[in-house]
This record gives sequence, structure tokens and C-alpha cells, in this order.
Amino acid sequence: MKRVLQLFRTLILRPLRRDLLRTSLTVLAVALGVAVVIATSLAGDAATGSFLSSLETLVGRTDLEIVANGGVDEAWIGRLAALPVNARFAPVIETQAGIERAGSVTVYGIDAVARWRDSDGAVISTALARRLGVAKGATVALTLNDAAREFRVVDIVDAKDAEFVLLDIALAQQALNEYGRVDRIEVFAGARQDFAALERAIRATLPAGYELRKPGARSDENQRMVRAFRWNLLVLSYVSLVVGAFLIYNTISVSVVRRRPEIGVLRALGAGRRWILWLFLGEALLFGIAGSAVGVLLGRVLAVGAVGLIGQTVNALYVSSRPAPVALDGADVALAIVSGVSVAFFAALAPALEAMRVAPTEAMGRGAREHQARLHWRRDLAWAAVITLMAAAVSRIQPIDGKPVAGYVATLLAIAAAALAAPAVVIGVSRALGPASRALAGAEGLLAGRGLSAALGRTAVVVGALATAIAMMASVGIMVGSFRETVVVWLDTQLRADLYVRPASRGGGAGQFPALSPEVPGLIAGTPGVEAVDIFHGLEVRYGGVRATLGAGDADIVRRYGRLRFLPGEDRDAALQSLIGQDRIIVSEPFAYKHNVHPGETLTLPLGDRNVALTVAGIYYDYSSERGLIILDRGTLLKYLPQQPVTNLAIYLSPGADAIAVRHAIEERAAGRHILIAPNQALRENAVIVFDRTFAITYALEGVAITVAMLGAANSLLAMVLDRRRELGLLRYLGAAPAQLRRMILLEAGMVGFMANVLGLALGFALSLLLVYVINKQSFGWTIQFHPPAGLLAGALTLVWATTILAGFYPARVASRINPIEVIHEE
Amino acid sequence: MSLPRLELRRASKTYQSNGQSLRALYDVSFTVEAGSVTALVGRSGCGKTTLLNLAGAMDFPTSGDVLIDGESTSALSESALTALRRNRIGFVFQFFQLLPALTVLENVELPLLLAGAPDSQKAARDRLQWVGLEDKASALPYQLSGGQAQRTAIARALAHSPDILIADEPTGNLDNASGEQVLNLIRESAEKWGAAVLMATHSSEAAAIAQTQIRLRDGRIEETIRA
Ligand SMILES: Nc1ncnc2c1ncn2[C@@H]1O[C@H](COP(=O)(O)OP(=O)(O)OP(=O)(O)O)[C@@H](O)[C@H]1O
Ligand SMILES: [Mg+2]
Repeated sequence: MKRVLQLFRTLILRPLRRDLLRTSLTVLAVALGVAVVIATSLAGDAATGSFLSSLETLVGRTDLEIVANGGVDEAWIGRLAALPVNARFAPVIETQAGIERAGSVTVYGIDAVARWRDSDGAVISTALARRLGVAKGATVALTLNDAAREFRVVDIVDAKDAEFVLLDIALAQQALNEYGRVDRIEVFAGARQDFAALERAIRATLPAGYELRKPGARSDENQRMVRAFRWNLLVLSYVSLVVGAFLIYNTISVSVVRRRPEIGVLRALGAGRRWILWLFLGEALLFGIAGSAVGVLLGRVLAVGAVGLIGQTVNALYVSSRPAPVALDGADVALAIVSGVSVAFFAALAPALEAMRVAPTEAMGRGAREHQARLHWRRDLAWAAVITLMAAAVSRIQPIDGKPVAGYVATLLAIAAAALAAPAVVIGVSRALGPASRALAGAEGLLAGRGLSAALGRTAVVVGALATAIAMMASVGIMVGSFRETVVVWLDTQLRADLYVRPASRGGGAGQFPALSPEVPGLIAGTPGVEAVDIFHGLEVRYGGVRATLGAGDADIVRRYGRLRFLPGEDRDAALQSLIGQDRIIVSEPFAYKHNVHPGETLTLPLGDRNVALTVAGIYYDYSSERGLIILDRGTLLKYLPQQPVTNLAIYLSPGADAIAVRHAIEERAAGRHILIAPNQALRENAVIVFDRTFAITYALEGVAITVAMLGAANSLLAMVLDRRRELGLLRYLGAAPAQLRRMILLEAGMVGFMANVLGLALGFALSLLLVYVINKQSFGWTIQFHPPAGLLAGALTLVWATTILAGFYPARVASRINPIEVIHEE
Repeated sequence: MSLPRLELRRASKTYQSNGQSLRALYDVSFTVEAGSVTALVGRSGCGKTTLLNLAGAMDFPTSGDVLIDGESTSALSESALTALRRNRIGFVFQFFQLLPALTVLENVELPLLLAGAPDSQKAARDRLQWVGLEDKASALPYQLSGGQAQRTAIARALAHSPDILIADEPTGNLDNASGEQVLNLIRESAEKWGAAVLMATHSSEAAAIAQTQIRLRDGRIEETIRA
């Protein structure tokens, strides 16, 4: 054991210390990979972790809650209170309000203690008071739905860092125009109350449409909604680690190649094979441990930035959440260490095994060895073809537990196939470019091309690593670009109205539908120049354990003016016509996919106090909501939820009417009400902005993967330079100017970048097909049209190429400064 | 009287390593004429390689001068030195030092390519023919025997018809027969191509082809023998 350590020190540690720059580049590459995984996981937790009602910090844990689609009738509080159980029933209204110069804030309406009851009294939390800089007695202006209203701060309560406003329930109902209705009833079991009996008693009393559930259910529901999103993000974050694995592989290979003579001597002196194996695995583990340790710290820092990015997506697509502080716990650290170390271990396995097989009398020179590697490229290419076919077959497998597991396996197989194809690409490209580069760059061109194909094993690994990063960038770019184009085209057909109206209260996140005052639709319909007004009711409903959006409009207007596109084979007009006066719905594609419903089927949706059977008349394309949409006719909605307020209006102008003039006229008529009137164009632009923001985190992850690959490129080019010191020195003897050596290394960098682009683009194209048609479809249910953003891709690839050449600058400088006399006799 | 092609004038070389200075050459003076072979002999560590590096303008004396056609190498700029190596000096090494990724022909052609010379391939083929390896033109170095590799290296050193040929133990790694072939080529490069040849060697057969033998001992010239 002691002797192994001794060997480890002289054979591994000392060279690592001598090559400090390369050692740190490798550690940094692993660290970045680990950091991204950690940051994504931490930020995901923080961005989605705060679904718990901040009210709990004030009133304590609720035992049960009663909810219903469309709200709970407050009359039930009295009926429940009459039950022979020891429990308290508290009504709660929860909404978002705009607050001057301070964004939005959660407003709770609760059954307040007497001293708070006041015609305009509000209680605010200390954190909010601090942020607004207000004290007791001051007034705060809140925009609730489409009305602004001032409230007097009657008290400030301490609720740690939660920000909210409390109103008396009656005042809240009045301010929101929601008489007789609350969002939920919270149940607090009294002392010695049998919990099961309480649950039974309540359930027996409540009508069929009402749901009695544990308060945690809400949070679970949210987590379930964002699960696919987070899963995809996490998988994406592992790509950097995969790129890092290539680098470890490369570093250990270099280490083995360099120490081959020593290994031979050691074996001849009686060192066991296992010693040699563990010597190099030990080196890899060292990288893994150091990289993970740095990665954890780095990840903690990156997470803070990522929370905002992930939060944007969650808010836009799923549910309003407020980021919680980033918290690093033991499990995360363990995840980091395990992922970093295991990646290092498995990446090093092949070269370490190769080291183990070095014979005690190692006779073969490097030239012959590399020649042997060259002979394998055809075989490797054949394997690449086989694995590609396997990937294609695997990609057809259905999702497992809602996760596109097969898609990811196919992705890994595709990456493996690309890695195996890398030697062929190196040979092919250097053969194709050889004559040209020799003609254009003379000796440097010849040497650069030959140098790369001669060190085939080495070059192929660098090309593979870079190509994987490029492929990831290209594939996600193609996926997002296609998605964006699909959305833009869809917005074009979807948004046909000229003007759109909604309340101005803030909080436009998913699942929030502030109400318009009842008189607004009439005011607008009577404005000259307005031909038709589509009155729309949006509300969040629970269906099948997750949330969805229920929308009700005038089916006839939608049919006449709108352009909903239905899935192939469905008759749009007939489907929309059939909604009128019947319990029929159309659902969006993601809803249909998530809940596995088909046209003609009936689903049971609780509405108010009833369970309503609704028949699916058709499925239409929609890209506005991942949670899914259910659309029915207004008449049907109002039959079951007569009080449901109008939330949005779509205005169609008479032919020839001036949109700007009509808009002004509407603003005048609706003066005093805080409504937003958006022209079609603005709404479309806004939708695209939201879309782009949603994918910001993806771009960030890609950036890191590319950075890791760049570190790898610099590292490998440097290794190639150091390994060929003797040759570079010899070239000086043969009359090469230092500038020629510099050019040669830069040319090599350029060629490596080109090879990586060729391979990366091919792999990226394959991965983008998997992303668009398998992973995205299985995760979210969206049908995306394939639209590669050619210009963007070309720009990104050129940038990567330029960066690869940039990564060659330092190695090139090292090459030009080699002292020929010192290196000429080295082997 | 014309200037000697290569002249060392009281050249000394002191290496500094780890704070210690080691004097590898001490006041060495001699000349090598065009078309002649001069052999450097002496025990291992006596300073032969050091001297060859000075003569080939790869390194510079700490004191004294190395003159090529009367011009001191110490006075030349980096680019002038590169030009000098490209156009006027050829090197042959004990361990051949062929580039494993290039074919035999490309190895020979390399100095011409680096210098950007025209018709480099034809010149390289001529040299290969001269060393008798035209049939190996497209072979890779690892496919050559030691003697063939060294002949390739000589072809490469003479590809650009240098005025000075520096050879460091060119037969040190070869058997007798191959060594003899190589020595013949070296002799020819002086006689036929007019190069001034300076060759370090341990073998008496090699030394025997030289018109002048210089024996070094601890960095000094111990004796000079003219044939
Ligand atoms: N770069 C260097 N730094 C320090 N000392 C050196 C250096 N190069 C050579 N020496 C020393 O200078 C002396 C002469 O070395 P040199 O290589 O010229 O000997 P040599 O005659 O060529 O020997 P051999 O026949 O073994 O090749 C030796 O003592 C050697 O240790
Ligand atoms: Mg020597």
C-alpha cells in the first residue's frame, strides 16, 4: 500500500503539479459540469419550492381545505360550523394585486378579528411594510381586478420574509366584486377531535363538486405540474458533465500515453496490473473529487442567477411562485460528489484498462500505436451506424411514467455513435482538407493536417467533446427555433381580433384571471367602430390531479372570426358549432396528451357544486399553456357557474374602422377603470417575448456546456503541443520560424473546430429530431413544426469555431517558444 | 585567400543550471572548409553536441565567435538565423528524428516547404534517389529500418543543398553495413555537393572519412589530426 502511494506520488502527482495549468483546466471543466447540475437542481427547488401559502406562517398549519372549481359558496361555512365536530372553518380569498411601483403582491381575504374590521382597513406583513417603507396609519394603493383602491394600514404583522396584504373577507369580496364566494375554506381541527371522523363528516356534508383535501395537495399539484419541465432541465444540465467526461478521458489518456515507458519499467520490476489500473483511476478520482468540491461552491453561486431564469419559466408556463432562498443541503453536496466522481471514474476506465495491459517489455513505438488506432476507424464507424439504428429504434418507445426515458436513452446512444464516428470524421476531413491546406498554408498546412490524423485517438476525443457541446447547442437551438416559429405562425392564426382587453391588476402569470367589471363589455360593445366583442371567461380548474385552464367564449364568434386550428381530420366548424347550448368542450393538444383524451370521449369536470360530464368535440393546437386548456361556450359555463366574471375581451372592428381611434374611444368610455387594451400586434410581440424569456435558462445551460468544451479544446491543444515538443523543436532545426509553428497550431485548432462543427451539426440535427418529436412531445404534448433557424445556427457555429481558434492561441504561443536544443533529445 | 566556410574563434560555452555554472567548451578555435569533412571525437560529455549546436547556429557561444563565411552568428537577428538554417545548414541526428506523421518523401521535402521553396517535390525526389530510397517515398517512418531512416534523414538534411552539414553521431544507432552506407553519403555530400561537414562520432570508421579529426577533452581541443 505504501509503495502504491509512493508510486502515485512520483508517477501521478508530480507531473500534475508540473503541468499546473492543464491540471487546473481539467479540474475547472469537471467543476463547471458539476456546478451546472447543482445550480439547476438548487435553483429548480428554489424557484418552485415556495408554493406553500405564506398565510401559514401567520395562522399556523391548516388541517384540511375545501376547494371547488369556480370558487366555494360561503354559505357552506355556516352549514359546516353546525356539524357536531370540534373544528374551526375559516374562509379564505387569495388573489394578486398590483401595488404602486412595487410589482404585485398576494392579497388574502380572511375572517378578521374585530379590531381590524374597518371600511378600508388592511393589515400588511412586516416584510412588505419594510419594502414599501410604510408605517401603521399610512395608506397603500392596490389595483384589484380593474379597480384601484386605497387602503389604510391598520396593523403590521410579523411573518418572517413573506410579503402579503390581509383584508377582512367582506371587504375583499366587495373590492373584488365576488359576493358570496370564497376561494377556499380552511379547516382547523380542535383538540381531541378524531381526524378521520372529521373528514368523514365534512365529506358527507359537501356537494359532489367540492373537494376536501390536505393542504399539501396544492403544493404537490404544483410540483407535479412542473415535474416534466424540471426533469428536462436537469437532464439538459447533465450535458455539461458528459462533455466533462470526454475531457477526463482525454486527460487520463494523455497521462497513460506519456507514462507508457514508465509503466513498462514498473511492470518489468514486478508491479501488478491492478496497481497500474488504480494508479490511473486514482488520478481520475482526484480530478473528480477536486472538480466536485469546486463545483459545489460554483454551483451555489450560479444557482442564485439561475433562480430568476427558472422562475420566469415556471411563472409563465405553470403557476405563480415566489422564489425561495437558495438552500444547499447535504443531499445536494452528495449529488455533486457522486456525479462528479462517478463521471471521472467511468471516463477514466478505458484508458486505465489500457494502461493495465501495457506489457512489461513495451516495444511498440508511438508511431506504430497510432497507426493501429488508425486501422480501427472503419470498424468504429460501422459500430456508429449500428448504434444510430438502435437509437432510432429506441426513440419509438412510449414514455415511462410520463417521462421520455426512451428519448433520453436514444440521445445518449446518438452521442455514443457520434463519438465512435469521430475518428472517421477526423480522417475524412483531414483527407479532404489536406491538399487545400497544403496548397494554401504550405508546410504548416501539411503538418497541421497530418499531426491531427497521426494523433487520431487524441484528436478524435477532442472533436467528440466539442461536437457534443456543439450538437447540444445546435439541437436545442433547432428545437427552440422550431418551437418559436411554430408559436409565431400559431399566434398569427390564433389572434384574429383587433384589440384585446384585460384588467390592469398585476400578476399575469399562469393561472391568474382577474375579473373585469360587469359593465365593461357593454360599454365597449356600444363604442362606434366595434363590430363584435367576444366575451371570455378564464379560470383555473383542477382536473385529474393537476391544474388546467378553463376558458369560455362565444363559440359562434370564435367560429366566425377566430382561426383555431384543429388536429388533422377534425371539422373545425362542426366542432365549434356543436359547443353551443350543449355540455361539449374542445381541449388543447397538451391537455389531450396529458390526460389521454380523444374526441367523442366524455370527461367529468367538477364545476361549482356539481360534477359535470362534458363531451370532447375536438382537439385544437395551442401553445399558450403547457397545463392545457378546456374551452366551452359561455352559455354552458354560466349554466353551471352563473357568477363567473368576464376576464378578457376580444374586439373585432368594423371594416374600415381606425384601430387607434376606436381604442381611444374605448379608453374614454371606460375611464376610471384600470384596463389594458392591447392591439393585436402588441399582444403577439408580448407573447414572443414571454416565449424567449421562457427559454433563457436553456441558453444559459448551453453557454456553460460550450465553455466546458472550450476549456477542453485549450487543454487538449496544449497537451498536443507538449506531447510533440521534440517534433516542434526539430522543426526549428529544419528551418521553421517560430511564427510558422504558431500558425501550425492555430491551423490545427481551426481544423479541430471544423471537424467538431461537421460532426456536431450532424449529431445536433439528430438530437433536434429527438427533442422535437420524442422528448418534447412526450413531456409536454406539443406538436412542433420543424423549422431550423439557419441564420442563427450559422452564426453560433461560426462563433464556436472562432472560439476554438482562440483557444489555440496559448498553446500556439507555447509551441513557438519551445527551446529546440532542450527538447531535441527527449523522447 | 577566401574565407573559411565555418570558423570557431576562441568559442567558449558556459551552461548555467541550478545556480551552478558549467563550462562545456573552452576557447575552441578551428575552421571547416567547403567540401571537407571534419570529425569531432572524444568521450561522452566532452562537449561535442554543444559544439555542433554552436556551429549550426542553434546556440551561441558565451564568449568568442562562430563565423559562417566570416559573419558572426551572435550578431544575427532571429529571422536572419531562421533564414540561415533554411538555406545554408543541414542537420543529421543520432536518433534520425523523422516526423512519424509524414511519409518519407514529405519528410525530405519538409525543409523546402518550410522555406517556401519552389519545385520542392522534385528536389526531394532527387535526394531520395541519391540515397537510394525512391521506392520508399510513400512509406511512413515506422516502416523503415534504422539505416533507411538515417538515409532519409541525410536526404532531408541535404534537400536544400546546404553549405554546412552538421551530423551528431549519425552512425551511433546503426549496424556496420548501414553505417557504412550512411558514411558514404556523408562523404559524398562534401565531395559532390561541396558542403562543409562537421560530424561528431564515437566510431573510428566514421572518423576515418574525415580530412580532419578534432579530439575534445573536457571542452578543450586536445589534439587535431589531419589525414
Ligand atoms: N543544457 C545544458 N545545461 C547544462 N549543462 C549541459 C547542457 N547541455 C549539456 N550540458 C553539459 O555540458 C557537457 C557537454 O555536453 P554535450 O552534450 O555537449 O556532450 P557530448 O560530447 O555531446 O556527449 P555525448 O557523446 O554523450 O553525446 C556535459 O557535461 C553536459 O552535462
Ligand atoms: Mg552528444
